[in-house]
Amino acid sequence: MSRLFDFAGGTGMGYSQPEPLLPKTSIALPPSLSRKELPRWPRLSEPEMVRHYTWLSRRNFGIDTGFYPLGSCTMKHNPRVNEVIAQLPGIADIHPHQPEHHLQGLLSIFHEMQHMLAVCSGMDAVTLQPVAGAQGEFTAVRCVQEYFRSRGETQRTKVIVPDSAHGTNPASAAMAGYDIIEIPSLANGRIDLDALKAVIDDTVALMMITNPNTLGLFETDIPEAAEIVHAAGGQMYYDGANFNAILGRTSPGLMGFDAVHFNLHKTFSQPHGGGGPGSGPIGVKSHLAEFLPSPIVKKRPISSGEEQFAVDDMWYSWYVPRNTIGKVQQWHGNAGAVVRCWAYYRRYGYGLKDMSEHAVLNANYLRHALHREAELAGVSHMFVDGADAKVAKHEFTLSLQPAKESVGVSAMDVAKGLLDMGYMAPTVYFPLVVPECMMFEPTETESRDTLDKFAKDFVKVLQIDAETLHEAPITTPVRRVDEVYAARNLCLKHPFDEE
Amino acid sequence: MVDQLPNRGLELEMLQEMGFSSIDDLFSDLPEHVRMNEPLPLPPPQSEEEIIADAKRLLGANRAMGDVVSFIGAGIYRNYVPSSVFQLVTRGEFLTSYTPYQPEVSQGMLQAMWEFQTLISELVGLPIANLSLYDGSTAAAEALTCAVRVHNRKATQKDTVYVSELVPPDRMSVMYNYCQGAGITLKILKHNADGTLDLAAVQGAEGSCGVYVEQPNPLGILDGGLTQIKEIIGQNTALVVGIQPVSLGLVEAPGNYGADIVVGEGQPLGSPPTGGGPIYGIFACSTPYLRLMPGRIVGRSIDVDGKEAYCLTLSTREQHIRRHRATSNICTNETLIALMGAMHMSLLGPEGLEHLATRNMAACVIAKQKLSEISGISLPHIASSHFNEFVVELPKSAADCLNYLDSVGIIGGFDLSRWYPNHSNWLLVSVTDQTKAAEIELLAAHIAVWSTLKEAVM
Repeated sequence: MSRLFDFAGGTGMGYSQPEPLLPKTSIALPPSLSRKELPRWPRLSEPEMVRHYTWLSRRNFGIDTGFYPLGSCTMKHNPRVNEVIAQLPGIADIHPHQPEHHLQGLLSIFHEMQHMLAVCSGMDAVTLQPVAGAQGEFTAVRCVQEYFRSRGETQRTKVIVPDSAHGTNPASAAMAGYDIIEIPSLANGRIDLDALKAVIDDTVALMMITNPNTLGLFETDIPEAAEIVHAAGGQMYYDGANFNAILGRTSPGLMGFDAVHFNLHKTFSQPHGGGGPGSGPIGVKSHLAEFLPSPIVKKRPISSGEEQFAVDDMWYSWYVPRNTIGKVQQWHGNAGAVVRCWAYYRRYGYGLKDMSEHAVLNANYLRHALHREAELAGVSHMFVDGADAKVAKHEFTLSLQPAKESVGVSAMDVAKGLLDMGYMAPTVYFPLVVPECMMFEPTETESRDTLDKFAKDFVKVLQIDAETLHEAPITTPVRRVDEVYAARNLCLKHPFDEE
Repeated sequence: MVDQLPNRGLELEMLQEMGFSSIDDLFSDLPEHVRMNEPLPLPPPQSEEEIIADAKRLLGANRAMGDVVSFIGAGIYRNYVPSSVFQLVTRGEFLTSYTPYQPEVSQGMLQAMWEFQTLISELVGLPIANLSLYDGSTAAAEALTCAVRVHNRKATQKDTVYVSELVPPDRMSVMYNYCQGAGITLKILKHNADGTLDLAAVQGAEGSCGVYVEQPNPLGILDGGLTQIKEIIGQNTALVVGIQPVSLGLVEAPGNYGADIVVGEGQPLGSPPTGGGPIYGIFACSTPYLRLMPGRIVGRSIDVDGKEAYCLTLSTREQHIRRHRATSNICTNETLIALMGAMHMSLLGPEGLEHLATRNMAACVIAKQKLSEISGISLPHIASSHFNEFVVELPKSAADCLNYLDSVGIIGGFDLSRWYPNHSNWLLVSVTDQTKAAEIELLAAHIAVWSTLKEAVM
């Protein structure tokens, strides 16, 4: 083990800093504010620090390590040129309060991204402010809330979400103060129009839904759902978590949505960084545009004197909509993530459609290969499709319920077995509507060979006897971690007094 | 031709093996009337070389702070981040991983975040820290809703929190957006003419759910009076303190003067300014807030062999389990930037932090002195100690002064009339560990010249 707080070297710093412009003695602090004891931080030299974090990195699994079919998370390859660009001083070393003429390059990139997202989604206006998908949801819900307030429709206090929705949907709507109406899904996680009709009235502000749904199926009844909600005066919100399945094939605008968020870190490949950062811009139809938060960039032809700062024949300016809800992050959103995703988008251009098509191709192929290999090995009785559909979109589910019932092997057991085979496990136990669920999203950046090999290895795991599989994983840095122990014996920081 | 798709050219074979004949078959479930039948009206794909060239052209047109002399701060600070931080954080095992739902293969990030929690906890003097929120403003906003969840039952001023009037409007706006849905009222705490908090006004906050103040405050003032707030408001009202983390190398940790929750922009530790994001928000608290706090937390545990191991814990507060009853909607956070923070803190060590804080503060002492020597210019809060920044009162508008300085290649600071419309002559001048004495001289000389100009620059 390499433990950070075991490093207690001398007082020499890990990197040498220049001397202060004045000695410490010339600095006056109010006596009550003078720090008495420095934090008990470790003391590492640079070589020790580098080795510690390298050691930690080797105990972590990323897309670069191997296949990462984590459903719903879109773990596609992160092109490295995007990282190189994000380190350029023109993005890394700029301040959000610098004047517009210092930031024409950044503003033009923002404008290009707004335009691209609007075109792809069929929306009229885009803000790049929200810094994560959940924050995009919250921002859009707030815009809808202010829209209805501006119209005096304050009786709209409810938001409808299907029971198969991502947890962030109800959480975001509740944060804005809405009551949540959860409606049950039909088989295959599909929207139940009758259940929707039963709850819709003029107290509903919004329906939040993702398409393809969380089982990876295209919701063909969405236009009808939109009609029902709109007829009652409500708004339709598209959770863009699965936008990477349909880009260039259809759009939230065509399906009748009024607002949408984009998970740039999913569809446009901002690296997930172990849990973030992300970026969650939103797009809206024109009736909601005046409620959006800034940053929004507008352009006009340049005037004389501006040429020295301009990047083309247009001048780019920040724009704050008239009835803006204000800010949900203090600055210009995750500008660094937007720039990375701009580079990703430039790699594809109009070919973004190919990205979605290959994501769907790979998901369907993997589903096919898993069934194919299971049949060859005689274990096809151990799982069934989580949904009954001829085609999936970018992800699909399997239910391991038969394996659980017949040999006592759970989805979690299989997941842990896959870790031993050198893979990240698919998402397990989500969505809840599929018993013993495993959710696979291979993404477009995996080769057919990888998918075939994974399918074979998956089937090998199913052939391991239950007793052995309960012990998995055995090849990982640690074996199954006791989450109950962690919760009952809370240890949330280094226990200095233990030594 | 896009070079990111390994199965390019294999489409037909793969489709045929599945019993399909074209990609269209995979989208046959899309109703006719929602199909997009035209190609996306976007430009053609570019090669990596072309993208780099365009990025350099566009981003090169931005005025990077390192290319000019800069005195802008106001919440985001240009500071030095050691090279090893950038080198290590781009290791693919960190960069391309996600939320550690499978702890057995995520020990690296889990342990690093547990260590981050410890570093932050030690820094601010509170026992618990989460592994980051989006930024300082969302951390402050979530602290207020958390304070109401914890204290509302016993509060005599229900659903009410008090916030320093100096909080910048954009930060206040984030607080409002996060609080309005829970029916929380934000009331304002007045400051004295010398920029310090009006402690008499704080008495009015007794019985409310929380008080939010900043140390240093948005005028850069280190306010000793904040150490008395907890005594005034008592145990049933949360003291929430927003901090600049580097300052805590010299300034007392808020946990040691009664803060219940400490939040702040983590950016100066580990992250370049990046136009304001991605950065990371610090959130730390005392034990009574633990089960109602937002964000992810890592706990130390054991594996089946009894070996030390780490995993996410207390997840039942979170949206993926608690759904609309979650303490926050946050899912994706700023883990990788927090990791950069942890790396920077590891390299600094306690004495390095103190040294870094001293460098920041020494530059501030010199800048105050030099600018106060210019005739016609005054420093309204000169008697206070400052960290990073201070107010300069000019004879004419700060906007005009900034235009003049810009014309000579200096970003002179922040026009405070953008926050406080009554103070059009207030300039917030910020310095950091990166500020050189000669740059301060240059700023002073140019402000002196500007102050004698008869005509406005614009």
